[in-house]
Amino acid sequence: MQREAWAVLLILFLAGAVVYAHATTTTEEYSRYNPGWNGTSNLPAEEIRDLADLDPSTILLILAPDQPFSPDEVGSLRAFLDAGGRLLIADEEGNANPLLADLGSSMRVRPGNLSSLNRDHVNPGLFTVSVVGNDTLFAGVETARVNRPAAVEGGEPLLETSPFTWDDADGDGRISGSETFGTAVVCAREGNLTVLGDASLFVNAMFAENPKFIENLQPIRVDGIHSRTGTKSPIINTLVWIRTTPPAGAAIVALGVLPVAWIFGRKRDE
Amino acid sequence: MNHRASQIVLATAIIAALALLAGEATTPLLYTAANTSTAAHVDPATVPKQTGRDADALIPLMGDLLSQTGTLTLNIKLKDYESAERDLARYAELSGRFDRLVINLDVSGTDIGEFQRNNRENLAALAALLNDTRRLEDLQRIEIDIQDDEGQRTTVIYEGETLQQKLQGGVTTYAGRENATIQIADRYGVNTTPYRESVRNYVEITGAVEAGGEKSPPSPLGIAVAPDTGRYGDTFSIAGTYAGGSPGTPIEIYVDSRIAGNATLDENGAYTSIYRIDRIPAGLHLAYAVAGAIYSGVTPFSVRQDDTAITLTLGEGEVCTGSLMTAGGRPVTLAPVLLRVDGSTPIETRTDENGTYRASLALPAGEHAIRAEFNAAGYPLNASESPTETIVVRNEGLSPLPFIAAIAAALGSGWYLRRRNRPEEKAPAAEPEESRETEATITPPQADIAGLSPREAATVLFWALRSRLGLPDTNTPRDCARLIPAHAGFFERYEQIRYAGETPSEEELRAMKEEALGGEERAA
Repeated sequence: MQREAWAVLLILFLAGAVVYAHATTTTEEYSRYNPGWNGTSNLPAEEIRDLADLDPSTILLILAPDQPFSPDEVGSLRAFLDAGGRLLIADEEGNANPLLADLGSSMRVRPGNLSSLNRDHVNPGLFTVSVVGNDTLFAGVETARVNRPAAVEGGEPLLETSPFTWDDADGDGRISGSETFGTAVVCAREGNLTVLGDASLFVNAMFAENPKFIENLQPIRVDGIHSRTGTKSPIINTLVWIRTTPPAGAAIVALGVLPVAWIFGRKRDE
Repeated sequence: MNHRASQIVLATAIIAALALLAGEATTPLLYTAANTSTAAHVDPATVPKQTGRDADALIPLMGDLLSQTGTLTLNIKLKDYESAERDLARYAELSGRFDRLVINLDVSGTDIGEFQRNNRENLAALAALLNDTRRLEDLQRIEIDIQDDEGQRTTVIYEGETLQQKLQGGVTTYAGRENATIQIADRYGVNTTPYRESVRNYVEITGAVEAGGEKSPPSPLGIAVAPDTGRYGDTFSIAGTYAGGSPGTPIEIYVDSRIAGNATLDENGAYTSIYRIDRIPAGLHLAYAVAGAIYSGVTPFSVRQDDTAITLTLGEGEVCTGSLMTAGGRPVTLAPVLLRVDGSTPIETRTDENGTYRASLALPAGEHAIRAEFNAAGYPLNASESPTETIVVRNEGLSPLPFIAAIAAALGSGWYLRRRNRPEEKAPAAEPEESRETEATITPPQADIAGLSPREAATVLFWALRSRLGLPDTNTPRDCARLIPAHAGFFERYEQIRYAGETPSEEELRAMKEEALGGEERAA
């Protein structure tokens, strides 16, 4: 019977571990709490939630933004750029275009379905681009593998596709109909502001494809307010709130310790 | 829940789990995830790799092809025919590589496909240029040698005139492709200078030939083509007369220097041959006739481009069938058809005399998208492709191996559980070796203890009593004592002898024997 009790305890422990792992992770795109292929749990970057006091010695990454920037936040980013800070905006949906306009940049993200013949995978959206500009982000890198990127217009090109690239508007995976071959830029810069038309470069599954590029980014911080690196999971958000709010952490510890102390106190009285 | 019931539940659960696993064994999702993707990206680890699609080689190859035309025509112009032969062989090899690449990359319908078609025609034109210029030079040499033989000289002159006319027609078509080819090449940054030079060289070569040729009276062998224009599948009548030719004289008809038909001179000195437009590029073509050593003049005709339509039907057993027709409803016969599986792997088949094709594919299990394509290279036809059809290939039954493994695992589990239920039957560590060996040779339940050691005798008596009481062999002394309290003393004493290594006295053995054989009960 005792052996069975241990077995039950072990099973309960394992089940508890599984439930904890399930509740504290997510499958949301780009989420820092997503350890799967499309998450950013392995991205070696510190998350910041205040743009007011940015360190210009680090790179600030805005990853797949989906929240608008207030005038104050735009002002903070402009001050960061003026102070010599490097801002990298990775976006393939065009959500960053209003921010780019507010920052006075001529660069724009043009969403589409870029596909290329220059690939060694079957999927035409997973292809190789060439480094064409001289930039520290791509130091020691000749080619990069992109994953369904968007084209970037304006600025000084840094990453360029081969001439055998097309916007696969009909999504049939081949060049057909009115589609034509042509070169596209997927990363460009204007001063300290860089726009990368492929946020997928930062998901866990892509680290092995471009290790040198990730290495060149260090030290890097991620804007946790506007990027899609967060989560909608209430459990994870509660745990994060507790971790980042000292009084809440203290209250939780107290909730755990006080009942035990009370029980021990009662036993001694008896 | 008692112990045995829980074991049955456990065993059932194991078998059920194994059965479920066996059902998925051939297509386990867990480790065969494929093409995992979202709208924003795909998981590279799950996307299959592809080979033979080296797009990086396209532009260098285009450059090599254009460069080869310049060298080849220069060598023809310099009359270095040996070098020109080598250049032509190299050009043909590069063209073959380019053709394969275009098919593998599935870009026949693009400007790269147009470049490929132009290149094919350039290759044919330059091959004809090399042959014709070399033959013309030979004829000029022969003409000098046979100055005194008027008959032979006239023959040579007729052939020379035919070749000159062919070359004139060839330069028109070769130069006609220049703009389109250069436009495509410029788009990809390919150096077009050698190709431009090749056109100039071509014009110079044909100009020099024309200037150097000697005019002769009209050939006695006439030729006419009717109609002068047609499409794929149309027939031309190539006919003429041979003044002075005897009936039955064989006539050979050539189209673009290739033999295209045979005819025989009739009693009126006339001949007729039917030529059907098949695999011949659209554009201007040249026909001439040869009767022995007499060449006719060269007469042109043109072939117009036509559209095509290809169908695809997927049948049982992964059989693909379909037809290839022109816009006018004519079947395209003996033409190559590509079946492209999942957008990458091309499988080639061919239409029959009715323009239909049939191919059996060997596909792995899963869903596959198949499309039929007609490349049209070398035909006066436009390329076409069928709508993409989907086929689901099912597994060919489940492999028996997972089931055999499951049954073996279940039997093994049962055997193990059965052994676990009688651990006490295993020999204790303290047991002397000879004692275990002796026990193994004893056949229970016998009560004959003569000649046995006291401890062995006690074991025999224990078996005898357990057997007499109808207890299963799996019961240990402690189980027996619990089940039959009336003999608890016997069993507890035996337990001490068996496991504590004690040796029973003769008196104890006698008492145990009596109890084992039921002496007390009988006496009672």
